[in-house]
Amino acid sequence: MNNLHIQKSAKNGLVFAVIIIFLALIGFTVTAASMIQKVFGVEVSVGTMPKYSALIAFLAFIGLWNGWRAAKQTEEHPLQAGHAILAGLASGFVTGLFALGYSLIVGTLQSNGVNVRVYLSSLSPESIIYFLFGQSPLSGGFIQLSLSTVSAAFGALLVIFWDRSQHQFLIWKQKLSAWGNASWPAKLRRNVFVGYIAMGVVLLLLVILPRTWGSYWNYVMGTVGIYVLLGIGLNIIVGYSGQLVLGYVAFFAIGAYSFALVTAPEPHNLNWNFWIAILVAVVASAISGVLIGLPILRLRGDYLAIVTLGFGEIIRILIKSDLLKEITLGPRGIRNIAGPTLFGKSFSSDSDFMYLIILAVLLSIFLARRWQESRIGRAWLAISQDETVAQATGVDTYKYKLLALAIGAAFAGLGGAIFASRNQFTGPEDHVLMVSINVLCLVIVGGMGSIPGVILGAFALKGLPEILRELESYRLLVFGALLVLMMIVRPEGLWPATRPKYEENSPPPVTVEGGSR
Amino acid sequence: MMMLDVQGINVYYGAIHALKGISFHLNEGEIVALIGANGAGKSTSLSAISRVISTRSGAIFYKGESIINTPPQDIVTRRIIQVPEGRRIFPRMSVVENLEMGAYIHNDRGKIEKNMEAMFARFPRLRERRKQLGGTLSGGEQQMLAIARGLMAEPELLLLDEPSMGLAPIIVEQIFDIIQDINQHGTSILLVEQNAQMALSIANRGYVLETGRVVLEGSADDLLDNPHVQEAYLGGGG
Ligand SMILES: Nc1ncnc2c1ncn2[C@@H]1O[C@H](COP(=O)(O)OP(=O)(O)O)[C@@H](O)[C@H]1O
Ligand SMILES: [Mg+2]
Repeated sequence: MNNLHIQKSAKNGLVFAVIIIFLALIGFTVTAASMIQKVFGVEVSVGTMPKYSALIAFLAFIGLWNGWRAAKQTEEHPLQAGHAILAGLASGFVTGLFALGYSLIVGTLQSNGVNVRVYLSSLSPESIIYFLFGQSPLSGGFIQLSLSTVSAAFGALLVIFWDRSQHQFLIWKQKLSAWGNASWPAKLRRNVFVGYIAMGVVLLLLVILPRTWGSYWNYVMGTVGIYVLLGIGLNIIVGYSGQLVLGYVAFFAIGAYSFALVTAPEPHNLNWNFWIAILVAVVASAISGVLIGLPILRLRGDYLAIVTLGFGEIIRILIKSDLLKEITLGPRGIRNIAGPTLFGKSFSSDSDFMYLIILAVLLSIFLARRWQESRIGRAWLAISQDETVAQATGVDTYKYKLLALAIGAAFAGLGGAIFASRNQFTGPEDHVLMVSINVLCLVIVGGMGSIPGVILGAFALKGLPEILRELESYRLLVFGALLVLMMIVRPEGLWPATRPKYEENSPPPVTVEGGSR
Repeated sequence: MMMLDVQGINVYYGAIHALKGISFHLNEGEIVALIGANGAGKSTSLSAISRVISTRSGAIFYKGESIINTPPQDIVTRRIIQVPEGRRIFPRMSVVENLEMGAYIHNDRGKIEKNMEAMFARFPRLRERRKQLGGTLSGGEQQMLAIARGLMAEPELLLLDEPSMGLAPIIVEQIFDIIQDINQHGTSILLVEQNAQMALSIANRGYVLETGRVVLEGSADDLLDNPHVQEAYLGGGG
């Protein structure tokens, strides 16, 4: 253990100090504590703070992580227990010192009657007192300091255990995978019928669930489904053809509005049939994709991203503006949008909509697959990897990029139309930049270019926050955290794209022991 | 017979005047070398012929017809194939897929299979690695794949951009043998190289480019004997 190690640990401590203070400033400490308490089955009543034990659990978790990282940073092989614990202690102590300082500053401000809420909306007096465990700033700060130091030391201990058990762990893992390959799960996996049975079960669930799980779940899963639709569309543009388009919401808006305008009684009183209106929305979006693509698809990379980003906003602002007020009703939005009918009967209960969305998703998956595996898909793949060379092999890159944009836009149009119809309303605020970012995030998180990835991504980014209501206001934070985590754990996405036709074997491994795979 | 005739083309990258009225030509069956230092405008010349970048003025004739208004994908169907510099293969496609991309303009499955078999016969290393992703090949293998991909389109004129760049001498030797062999099977070749010695040793004629201009031209042997070429491109003593 030398100065360098201490320095590294102190730096690590500093990073965690920033994390803790940041989380405290945005009020996330309280949210996290409430969630922990809920996990243990104790509801937090409205207007009160969760128990202190929940806060301790949360802070201790961060402390453990702190110590873990500090001890790992020593990069010793094998790790010496004394050094690891010292690193953990040092890092935890530094973090604790800053937490102490923060407690003193905020606590003193608070007790002197300064209303910090003016500057930071989520820093309520209660949350400050909660952070200080109901004590004075000084003793609250010292609790923080000792908690941080002790938990970081434990975190370091964990690393030592981990280090010692790694070898054992590896042996176990090998045994487990050998068993897995030899026994029935593997045989099952190799059996073609299992695939069909699994597919059958999924289909059956898709048929049964919308009828049985109630309107709340239909609403949540319907939203997820619409985002799957959007994800598959954007995936064609970004994942397949490799064009970074940021204003995807524009096509969603065009779909929603063209659907709304031809079906709603106001402002034009056209009252068209649902299915024709859907077609109109899809075609309108696809055409707008081509029209926008014509001038801008010669741009590459960052330029394309920025221009399309602007385009998304322009559409929203146009819809909202006085300029088009006669046509779009401006900020008020369009109400009483028609629901679907089938053979003259209304087909717009929440479960009907769920079926509609499932159908749309299945159709889009089918189409996306077909295109991906065709000559067009091959051209997209080439363009996404090296546009110049694709051109040099005779691919009309401009045409295929335009095609990708039009198809992606059409999917967004379909999604927008269903969305507007389900809500019976659409307004400019349905089409904010955040929609584009959400869809792009789920494509990236799921795994660029992969359809199962898009579905997983939609569940993770649209389903989870809906289920964990608490996280709603921290969605951006969770996005950020998820994205960072993804980069580290699964840089290729949750379910990366593979093209099963060819194996992706890299050069054979240098040493093969035991000869089994 | 004159196959390719480039007449006084000017190319700009924004304000940069990259080609300042360059003229050269290539007769059917020839290997013609364009040599010059980094930044002389060699790659730009090839890209102007394949129409990947546009020329501001000047004319380009291929088999007597102007191709100045021909889009790049139609250049490929006219069997002018560029193999870009820097071993630009598709890294996330397998060797087979890369070769199939090379034949993108063809639809005849049987012919594609036959050509691929011919490529594997010429480059046995590629057959061994047929299912491997392009990005995982060694430098020499990638260069061979890039050339093979170009040949899959059945070129009549092959535009080769620095095939020796960054490769070990022994592999450069192999690749130049292959280039000569391709030429003997009837493909005309416009060869861009910084390695003037190698290029001129297999070329019929050559042009020396400096800062966007042709400063010297002549038969390969004359150029090899030229004091300026020896001084600037063949390391002094020759
Ligand atoms: N994409 C580009 N943008 C701007 N300038 C370029 C670009 N490509 C080439 N150039 C410039 O054009 C000139 C000729 O480049 P190039 O044809 O690549 O030379 P060479 O292939 O002989 O090394 C150089 O000055 C280079 O900096
Ligand atoms: Mg060059």
